[in-house]
Amino acid sequence: MITTQDRRFRLLQRAAQKCAAESGNLLDTLRGREDYQPEFEYFLDLIKEPTAAATERRSGRTAIRLLCIQAPLELIHAAGFQPFRVFSGSHAASALATQGIPALVCPLLRAVLGEMALDKANLSGHPWILPTTCDWVVKLPEMSALTGLPSLPEFHWMELPRLKNDGNSRKRWMDEIWRLKDFLEKTSRHAVTRTALLASIEAYGRAADAFQKLKTSRASGRLSPVWFLLVGNAFFLDAVENWTEQVNRLEKALFAPRVGQNRHARIFLAGSPLVFPNFKLPFLFEEAGLWVVADDLCSSERLFPGKTFIADTSVFGMLSTLAGRYHQGCLCPIFADNDRRINNILGRRPEADFRGVVFEVLKGCHPYDLESFTLEKGLKAQDLKFIRLETDYSPEDTRNLLTRLEAYRATLEEA
Amino acid sequence: MAMTMTRTRYLSGAESKLQEIRWGFQHLSFLVLIYGGRFGIHLGSAVPCFACPFVPGCGGYCYLMGLQGYIGFGMRTLSTPALWAAFGWMVVFVILVAVFGKAWCGWACPFGLIQDWLSAIRKKLGVRERIVSPAAQKHLTRLRYALLLYLVFTPPLVTAGVLPEDFYLAFCNICPGKALLPLFVGETKYLGLNPDNAVTLGLSFTLLFITGGTLVGMFFKERFFCLLCPFLTLIHLLKPLTALGLVKTPNACTGCGSCAHACPMDIEALEEDRADVQHDTCIQCCQCMKACPSHDALNLDFFGVRIVSSSKGGA
Ligand code: SF4
Ligand code: SF4
Repeated sequence: MITTQDRRFRLLQRAAQKCAAESGNLLDTLRGREDYQPEFEYFLDLIKEPTAAATERRSGRTAIRLLCIQAPLELIHAAGFQPFRVFSGSHAASALATQGIPALVCPLLRAVLGEMALDKANLSGHPWILPTTCDWVVKLPEMSALTGLPSLPEFHWMELPRLKNDGNSRKRWMDEIWRLKDFLEKTSRHAVTRTALLASIEAYGRAADAFQKLKTSRASGRLSPVWFLLVGNAFFLDAVENWTEQVNRLEKALFAPRVGQNRHARIFLAGSPLVFPNFKLPFLFEEAGLWVVADDLCSSERLFPGKTFIADTSVFGMLSTLAGRYHQGCLCPIFADNDRRINNILGRRPEADFRGVVFEVLKGCHPYDLESFTLEKGLKAQDLKFIRLETDYSPEDTRNLLTRLEAYRATLEEA
Repeated sequence: MAMTMTRTRYLSGAESKLQEIRWGFQHLSFLVLIYGGRFGIHLGSAVPCFACPFVPGCGGYCYLMGLQGYIGFGMRTLSTPALWAAFGWMVVFVILVAVFGKAWCGWACPFGLIQDWLSAIRKKLGVRERIVSPAAQKHLTRLRYALLLYLVFTPPLVTAGVLPEDFYLAFCNICPGKALLPLFVGETKYLGLNPDNAVTLGLSFTLLFITGGTLVGMFFKERFFCLLCPFLTLIHLLKPLTALGLVKTPNACTGCGSCAHACPMDIEALEEDRADVQHDTCIQCCQCMKACPSHDALNLDFFGVRIVSSSKGGA
């Protein structure tokens, strides 16, 4: 007789196979591309095994699981841990988490729930750091209990103030940073020293420099936006020093732009995070003749808002600078006073020279959804062509999206 | 569509060296203003920073000393050449400030450099910097204006016989520059008490007290003395004439606050949405520009021409 347990086991097994096929297909596609170079192999290898266990093996550090990007990575690194961002773009994993939760959950969080059920990324039983960003993140522990996860990890909450330009909020966030430091010290059983923190800030600064070069290469046509996204996605899967070294190596080895690329129209990409293996949109952009020259995705450019400049090298000084960087400097739409986000796009325009902005919203991702309307108004007023795409991880809307993108490209050419 | 990048004015590499260039310039200025006289260099009596005349063989005189002297002696003698000299140096001072503005504080002042050395030691030791809150800054601004008034009004009172002669150069007598800068040429006499009379004793004691307090303050707070310096106020009063200005492009700012964190003068107004962010305490050190990750958000303009801008790689 087949028990419920057996059925669940089989379901998980099938989902795991589908997940593997999904990422395997994408890796094959990437390897088969005309612009493939052997220097991409390191990043493909990381993506092939995007688990916390593999990351620990590669980096030689215990992984601390994170959601979103507001916990200072430098602090986690200085405490001796490897920051491991839990995110997933797997359609198969997201299809696994359907029962007992609302129908319109953000696909990214749904996929994370699926990954938790599969325990593919070895997610349970280890401490997680959760900043209180969007509603879906806040409700993740509750949803994971509802979907019947056998063992829930320990969650360290960081209460993220939704106001950035307010003195009180900044003080509260600074308290959260100190609490995080205490938590990390208790977990690692050793103190975060000033020299370790300084060294970590420098290591992440070098990573930011390397990424900056890559951004220039993408804008100049030497690096395709698809590969650029892949490199960003791989950032949390190895020690920052290794990743930086490989990015520098790749940047040096990049070929000159291919002639055909000159025919692409240059766009800025904004919106919800794009995560491997959900590369549907980047491929469609290519097909439609659009070249992403700059973006503000938290899975891509926003990983490095620039190099952190430290004026006060005491632990207090460094933590307050980091606190500002990760709170005031964060352009995530969950903030009430995020009106300067548009400046980030307009500020990139002279250097990146784009004519239009593509805003993609993952269905159910309410903060981005809402902010897309505000941005649309502001960007159109600045003579930028704007298109809003709403999608999820399923391949069903591919044709429809492509038609819209081709029409959009035509409007860019008319402009 | 062509895939060429638009030409930018960022001289990458060169611009990220701005702070090294400043550091070098500060040292050069220190050498000229402290030892220049020994090599025949003298920049006159209207230098808009602490070029202390109490340093034997210095390379120029601080205008604060000149100002006190001209107000006091000028009023006393009322002779035409003295008045012309006073007027002439005032014109030179105004021109020097009009051209270089607060850069005198951030790039040339020897006393500013001593403060920067102390900060460098504090940073090496990892000692936390104390932040001066906006409320405390307001009090310090009042104190700066009070010191300027003291500096301007004491000499006439001496001339009028209301105050004793020992109050001549009233500000110099309590200026920590007078106690510390001569030490660099081995002159230690201003570090002792002057027991000639009650006034000299009181003033020399005040000088020692202020110097001690300033040294402690300068160690724990970057450019602590600048917050008290009457030069900062005097140069700020000439702001409408100055060619060198810190200008913000509000719609390039993401509000990240990195500038205010990096600013040695703790100027929070930098984050505000306005073009004129040249605060009265700014010393034009350009640290904010180095910290700002947004292209063009913070800029230094000279006669309306943009000479440096913030960029992702750091100015
Ligand atoms: S505002 Fe900028 S230039 Fe002025 S003192 Fe502060 S950091 Fe220096
Ligand atoms: S550092 Fe630059 S972007 Fe950040 S608040 Fe200051 S001016 Fe704005």
